[in-house]
Amino acid sequence: MHSLVNNHYRADQIERFQQREELISKLKHRFKTYGYKQIQTSAFEKYDMYATKTGIVNTEDMIKIIDASGEVLVLRPDITIPLTQWMTNKNQLTVKHDRYFYVMDVFRHVQWNEQKERTQAGIEYFGDSSPTVDAEVIALAIHTLHDCGFSDYKIEIGHAGFFKALIAQTSLSTTEITNIQRFIQSKNLAEMTAYLESLTIDEPLKTAIRNIPFLYGQPKSVINEINQYGLDNEVKAELKKLIDVYTNLQAYDLSEDIVFNLGLINDMDYYSDIIFQGFINQIGRPVVMGGRYDNLGDQFGTHIPAIGFAFDVDLLIHAASQHHLLSEPESSIDICLYYDTNTQQEAVAAAFHLRNQGYSVISFPKETSETATIQATWEIMYTENVYTAAVDNQIYQFKNFVDLQGLLQAKKENG
Amino acid sequence: MEAFTLAVAKGRTADHTIRLLEQMDIFFEDLTPSSRKLVFYNKKHTIKLIFVKAVDVPTYVEKGAADIGIAGKDNILESEADIYEILDLQIGKCKFAVAGKPGVNIDTLQSLTIATKYPTVAKKHFLRKGNNVEIVKLNGSVELAPLIGLSDVIVDIVETGNTLKENGLVVIEHVEPISTRLIINKASFAMKANHIQQFIEKLKISLEE
Repeated sequence: MHSLVNNHYRADQIERFQQREELISKLKHRFKTYGYKQIQTSAFEKYDMYATKTGIVNTEDMIKIIDASGEVLVLRPDITIPLTQWMTNKNQLTVKHDRYFYVMDVFRHVQWNEQKERTQAGIEYFGDSSPTVDAEVIALAIHTLHDCGFSDYKIEIGHAGFFKALIAQTSLSTTEITNIQRFIQSKNLAEMTAYLESLTIDEPLKTAIRNIPFLYGQPKSVINEINQYGLDNEVKAELKKLIDVYTNLQAYDLSEDIVFNLGLINDMDYYSDIIFQGFINQIGRPVVMGGRYDNLGDQFGTHIPAIGFAFDVDLLIHAASQHHLLSEPESSIDICLYYDTNTQQEAVAAAFHLRNQGYSVISFPKETSETATIQATWEIMYTENVYTAAVDNQIYQFKNFVDLQGLLQAKKENG
Repeated sequence: MEAFTLAVAKGRTADHTIRLLEQMDIFFEDLTPSSRKLVFYNKKHTIKLIFVKAVDVPTYVEKGAADIGIAGKDNILESEADIYEILDLQIGKCKFAVAGKPGVNIDTLQSLTIATKYPTVAKKHFLRKGNNVEIVKLNGSVELAPLIGLSDVIVDIVETGNTLKENGLVVIEHVEPISTRLIINKASFAMKANHIQQFIEKLKISLEE
């Protein structure tokens, strides 16, 4: 018989859940220190919002639901889109340096590892398109990776406008452009060369497109290489923006962590300028992806320049586990407290005060101590005649709560 | 220099690869034709060579168990691994084809049953064409399927066509050419950029010789 339990959050992964929460709280903390405020949106969204905006999310991938009135809804397939729509609904005048972060799930039929549901933790910065903002956002992504304990990572920076500007000079069909994109994304030079030969494109442009996959490496050498191609002014203008961001990033002293990858093309079509993704050693997929999407707001009627990124939390935790960066979760209980009928009131009152002081306390009738095996640092007995507190195989007697506090305090101070 | 791991498919691909590497002055001392070992190092310990099953090479590379792999396009396509596919080594050339008994018209059949070792490749090909298909996944002797009525046609690798001919089958249409490729883990490409790019350059030169 098939198991009826969905595998995503398996019951035996309680430890992993603690570690996951710890990791998420690190991300949240770092986002807050850069001035971002947490927000949450509905998991249900209107299907029409995605269906009418072509090229945003493949409608086949979305998980659809029909509500009682017959309206078609989808489970949130992306976060940037609803946030942008939400921003456009706010008063336009207030959108200036608006910083938000989120920890939310996205739902799609086809996602990596067969999971329909994946958690993203990310930020969005609305209302400013200057390169200083781009640099700070990338610096935040790197800072967060560092917080998680990683030391072996690289951020690849590319530019969505670069490929778009090059391709705009050709008259290729959408299918042809998609095919070229695939070849570039997999750096499949052999097949791309043959494919380009079958298309009618001006020779210099063909050479430029063919070289995209290997415009990769140290920013300065990549820029030097591109400049040899004699590109038109529009492409040069896009590149200038990229160089500006890199110049600003130098102030953060992060040059070691950054490579340029002009062959970087994100499947999300809304990116307009700089795009980036972060890799951790041995993990073949980016744990963080982001970029600038200045024109997405226009689709909802308001122009709002914006940049953002999202960590794939599930992949990040997998990476942290591979790199042995997950600490053993604190599973132990501080105090286990036993009482009998006569001492119950005093014991639970003590438990209440101890919990207020931050100890984790569980309490049971005395008989339980004979059958259960409960792991706690302290074992405290409230019996009719005598109160005892046991720790590290030593047993102390105490008269009242003040005494007990003294014992706990002394233990804390002496380790 | 940080070492990288190279995964190579056991068998014919391995022999080709070793010869290519020797042309690049990369030698693996312990490697002999009779050796049963699966892990080898070159003299300078800059390359760790591992032998794995051909179908597993893309998986090893995608998951980062190997930085670089040498694998057939057939296995790359079937695995749908998210990796860089940097060089065509121009060896192991053959093609994916649809084959069946002479006279089968796949465009007039209402629904088509396909036997194959490569369900993903087969499904994608017929999805592109808009055919309604049912896939039967087999692990070998695929040519038998149309003969005993298990399927209408097969999707398989065709090199010389001799196996098909001997079993009374013909190629109905070509799907995609296949050859051996150099594939790279995307994170490794970023993390070990210098070492890996040097390796690619040297390999390119030795391919042109």
